[in-house]
Amino acid sequence: MFYSTPFFSCKPRFLMWMQFLRRHRRSYFTATPGLFQPYNTATLPPYMAMADDTEDVELDFAADEQERARRSAVIRHPLASFFHLFFRVFAIVSYLLCDWISENFAPCFVLIITLLSFDFWSVKNVTGRLLVGLRWWNQIDDDGKSLWVFEAKKSSKGNNNGTDAEARIFWLGLIICPIIWIFFFFTSLFSLKIKWLSLVVASISLQAANLYGYLRCKAVGEDGQPPDTGSFTGQHLLQRPDIIFGIL
Amino acid sequence: LSDEASRPFAGLSDVSISEDIPVEGDISVPMGSSRRDDEFSTLDEPVKETILRDLRAVGNKFIHVLYPKRSSALLRDWDLWGPLLLCVTLALLLQGGSADSDDQGGPQFAEVFVIIWFGSIIITLNSKLLGGTISFFQSLCVLGYCIMPLTVAMAVCRIVLVGGSGPVSFGVRLVVVTASFGWSTFASTAFLADSQPANRKALVVYPVFLFYFVIGWMVLTFSPAQ
Repeated sequence: MFYSTPFFSCKPRFLMWMQFLRRHRRSYFTATPGLFQPYNTATLPPYMAMADDTEDVELDFAADEQERARRSAVIRHPLASFFHLFFRVFAIVSYLLCDWISENFAPCFVLIITLLSFDFWSVKNVTGRLLVGLRWWNQIDDDGKSLWVFEAKKSSKGNNNGTDAEARIFWLGLIICPIIWIFFFFTSLFSLKIKWLSLVVASISLQAANLYGYLRCKAVGEDGQPPDTGSFTGQHLLQRPDIIFGIL
Repeated sequence: LSDEASRPFAGLSDVSISEDIPVEGDISVPMGSSRRDDEFSTLDEPVKETILRDLRAVGNKFIHVLYPKRSSALLRDWDLWGPLLLCVTLALLLQGGSADSDDQGGPQFAEVFVIIWFGSIIITLNSKLLGGTISFFQSLCVLGYCIMPLTVAMAVCRIVLVGGSGPVSFGVRLVVVTASFGWSTFASTAFLADSQPANRKALVVYPVFLFYFVIGWMVLTFSPAQ
């Protein structure tokens, strides 16, 4: 929509400039000169000074309309965002409504554990790398040593990074659900329902594992340690291999 | 400070080496394991491929339990899906009948879970404290997958119990459970004992023996609701 309206015709130039800046914070510095109009044209060389208020200038950063739409979309991976939240929220809802699901303890237990296992797998393997470009895994060397590797994609690479909205969805979902399960831990502890306690402990361990892994990845992203010299493919990835708690 | 950092060898500019001192050495570039290149390409792979890859890995491990032989490639790609699936299956099979009535001997659902997972963790800690080279989750993976023979035995026992619970059925069940217990212990020690020094193998194998014995006991003494 932004690209189809004439750049200078309707709104004051300053407002359009602010809109443009807000939307393209990162690509601002890579856009070629002459394709956008800075606020003060008086300081520009003549060949860069573009049209005045009455002329229509079309900006064409991306040849493809679809590419443009994808870049300006609020959520680029709707399916991943949905599934990121779906399993966790459904597990919490099932725990709260377990009396309606079945009278026995077993089906409810199996359902919640299954949901949380799927959630663990999808958050670790899919939604992390799609929504925020982070990844972590365990690697066992040839001599049997176990290493945990935490990776973060550098933000300048590629177009398929998650948007801010997706990052917000990711981190909120990742942080709030373990807090809710910890709350359930205390309610089941103080009401002395020991059977449910085992379920809650299992849930907390699954959720906290992902949270811990991604927090470590985020720390790698902020520290910016480059990967080992042997890897030539890792220029856009930042890595840190580690052993957790000294034994894992 | 930044000057020093940008010219690290500035202080050596006036050092000279006389020509008759041989200067030689080895240069080795630490190559990351070949998996790192695979990981790069898996960063953008479609989700379906990720799922299929993991499913194939799980299936592969089940086959390895059937024909246990030490293979380090199997041990390297551990996963806990198999143990979870087997644990849930075993707990569900141990459910029916007398477990619900709370007064007879059937184990409760959560008990089976706790015994299996807590027992695996204790065995793993034990083997790590004894100086084992296997990693924590690898050990959990092996112990979990080797429950498979006992799960199969449980299914067979349930079928046999449909026909009646006399001494003949007990004899059949005893044979089946003993065979599967032996198979489980043998399969898991084939993977675990190799990671220990020779004089400690018995110390590591004994808890594994106990672990599968307890599970076998639960399977054998299961009695359906009257």
